[in-house]
Amino acid sequence: MYGLVALGYHITWATSRTMNFSQGHAVMVGAVIAWGLAVAAGWPLPAALLATLPALAAFGALIERVAVRPFFRASSPAWLLSTIACGIIAENVAQLLFGKDARAFPSSLTQRPILVGGAGFYPQELLIPMVGLGLMALVQLFYHRTGYGRQLKAVAWNAEAAGLMGINVPRAVMAAYALSALLAGVAGVLLAPLLNVAPTMGTIIGLKAFAVAIIGGLTSAPGIVLAGLGYGLLEAVVAGYVSTGAREIVGFGLVILVLVVRPWGLLGAPPARRV
Amino acid sequence: MARAGWGAVAAAALLLPLATSNTYYLYLACSVGLLAIVAAGLNVLAGFAGQISLGHAGFYALGAYGAALAATGLGWPLWASVPVGMVAAAIVGAAVGAAALRVSGPYLAMVTIAFGIIVEHVLMEWVSLTGGPGGIFNIPKLAVGGSYWLIAAATAVTLWLTANLRASAWGRALLAVKSSEVAAEALGISAYLARTTAFTISAALAGLAGGLFAILNGYISPDSFTLQTSIVFLLALLFGGLGSVAGPLVGGVALTLLPELLTGLADYRLILYGSLLLISIYGLPTGVVGAVRSRARRHAPHPALSPETRGREAPPQGKGGDAAALLEVEGLGVSFGGVVALSGVTLTVPSNGITAVIGPNGAGKTTLINLITGYYRPDAGQIRLAGEPIAGHPPYAVARRGVARTFQTAQPFDDLSVVENVMIGVAGARLGHLGGALLHGPGTSRRERALRARALALLDAVGLAPRAEEPAASLPAGLRRGLEIARALATEPRLLLLDEPAAGLSPTEIADLAARLTALRSRGGPAIVLVEHHMDLVMAISDRISVLDYGRVIAAGAPAAVRENPMVIEAYLGVPA
Repeated sequence: MYGLVALGYHITWATSRTMNFSQGHAVMVGAVIAWGLAVAAGWPLPAALLATLPALAAFGALIERVAVRPFFRASSPAWLLSTIACGIIAENVAQLLFGKDARAFPSSLTQRPILVGGAGFYPQELLIPMVGLGLMALVQLFYHRTGYGRQLKAVAWNAEAAGLMGINVPRAVMAAYALSALLAGVAGVLLAPLLNVAPTMGTIIGLKAFAVAIIGGLTSAPGIVLAGLGYGLLEAVVAGYVSTGAREIVGFGLVILVLVVRPWGLLGAPPARRV
Repeated sequence: MARAGWGAVAAAALLLPLATSNTYYLYLACSVGLLAIVAAGLNVLAGFAGQISLGHAGFYALGAYGAALAATGLGWPLWASVPVGMVAAAIVGAAVGAAALRVSGPYLAMVTIAFGIIVEHVLMEWVSLTGGPGGIFNIPKLAVGGSYWLIAAATAVTLWLTANLRASAWGRALLAVKSSEVAAEALGISAYLARTTAFTISAALAGLAGGLFAILNGYISPDSFTLQTSIVFLLALLFGGLGSVAGPLVGGVALTLLPELLTGLADYRLILYGSLLLISIYGLPTGVVGAVRSRARRHAPHPALSPETRGREAPPQGKGGDAAALLEVEGLGVSFGGVVALSGVTLTVPSNGITAVIGPNGAGKTTLINLITGYYRPDAGQIRLAGEPIAGHPPYAVARRGVARTFQTAQPFDDLSVVENVMIGVAGARLGHLGGALLHGPGTSRRERALRARALALLDAVGLAPRAEEPAASLPAGLRRGLEIARALATEPRLLLLDEPAAGLSPTEIADLAARLTALRSRGGPAIVLVEHHMDLVMAISDRISVLDYGRVIAAGAPAAVRENPMVIEAYLGVPA
């Protein structure tokens, strides 16, 4: 699940060397919209899901237009702060529309746990890593097998040259942002039945996903998915044997450790120094 | 104008307690001061050194809990417990900075966020020490009036310290690292050390504000130290003005008063913060203070250069004297991802005269300079400076041994004035005592005057003295190169490496450059290695020439001999001669 959100960081980083620091808020927006349609408006779940995805893609494109494009060329961390700003605004708007309280999102897949060797799982919990792996495979296919995916890769390699070859670079970056928000939205919809839906849910999910992206290596999609699975397991173990508070301490401590020892991540490529 | 502004602020701060005894207003004024102190600390990190932290609520918390525990657990008096918090924050800040500052940009943001979250959760989990989510109450506190004077004084001292720092060799070094890390290291400044110092100072100031926060309120809990707090800290700085001394104060006032004025809109608070942040980044890249100042500058005339600073001192004398080989490069090789950039390069540079390195594009000339100055690590071979091996040493260490360089694209520090650029070179690695820089002691002011006089003399020698006080960013291309050479010479190098100094210069400027380089040689200046495409210049002034092609030395010797060498002609013209 973290892997799915973290993949979003990878997609925009790989294309534009920028990323949406409020990726977690896209998860929240996805969960809130799905809740609004499926629970409040009573739509059937597939319809709600279908309607949520384009909305998320639009959200990602909007963030790119407002918070990233003006600062694309700036080496300053302006885009980092402006995407955070967009995230807090989205959180507040969701709060006004949705209310501050968390609400449950019923799903047929969280009614009865199945028992595997003494531990109980909801089918939903098994669904998430499967969808995650499937989407990762799709993203890889998209990058390597389709013309549009190759265009995005070209932009990642050298935006200027890609522009000269006739690729619409701003549009490619916007597409990357839309795709990344879309993945976050899928994660939000999948997560909604497990966690409760609340406007404040985005921050911590986004941070953990970012931690995962860094541990796995921002430049490596398989590294991120592996790190996502590992991080989820580690969290479950620490929360089970120590405490839920210790979970965050161990998790984020690990990030600092990885950054100190191997700043480009476990499977990422070390950046070349340019003089 | 700035002085009058500060006078008005000080007068307002002194008069406020006389004008009102309303404790609510005094409490608000205290909050302004605390926010200003943290923002001033962040300013040292972000405004001077160019690194963003999103975890300073963690240091604020360490200061607050340190002070609170010293006061409640150990029963220490206030004047002792606040420094406990500050020292705790500084020590942890130095440790986190030393670990985290190997990375920068979004990675550093992540480390600081992670640090903040870890602190927050430790505060909640370690119930026996911190009281858990309930926090610590019964902290002995001052009356609001007393707190006000204490916090006002602390704010004033903090702003004074950061102003001193900005005007010192340390402050210039931080700004140089922010502006161009590569160029700063070429002058002997360790970017890592500079950033870690800035991080530690900013953590200590956040700790100070946290300690004062604890004794102002008498009660602290983890709720006050979340990621959102860190964002507000950063927002105060950005809104007020990144890099300016007054910015944190302006930001502190704005970010404290706005939410109070808009209490009816409490539900929209995050929208307010988010919009302010966007506005600050879009419309006010230098904050409110910067916007006001640039408006004022448009009307002010440029300060004229005072006559006594001109033409006092002769330009530099190199340290090297003997005629033995100064630089020996032997069998040097390096490859990047399978592409062999240099292989088996051997080159000897005597301790005086001009040695030119020429060759077609892509022959590896710049790579050679980057290897000698430590920016790349060689895969094979030796580099010796005056007999001592320097291969693999970091750039700032090579620079400290007396190797200066310029860059193919001139890299002046754009945020600094022309004279400050050269002052950085004069000071080099000798930044002086950090405490002296903060307190602006008499030794520091004397040193500053000496640095400035020396820098002005060097600028005079390249004809840049009349523009000494202008920002380096305002110089046209030719003068930027001149400034860069003056800055490199300011370090009094034994060896000066010039990477295409004539590129983009007009014929007159090239003639000037040639005259200056030969004058430098006749004065017994540093040994010069000249990488250049401009054959007229090379042939006119070089004592020796080495020719590189495809990463190898294909010819070496006196200019006339090299010109006749058939391999050189082939390399340049592509036909066997």
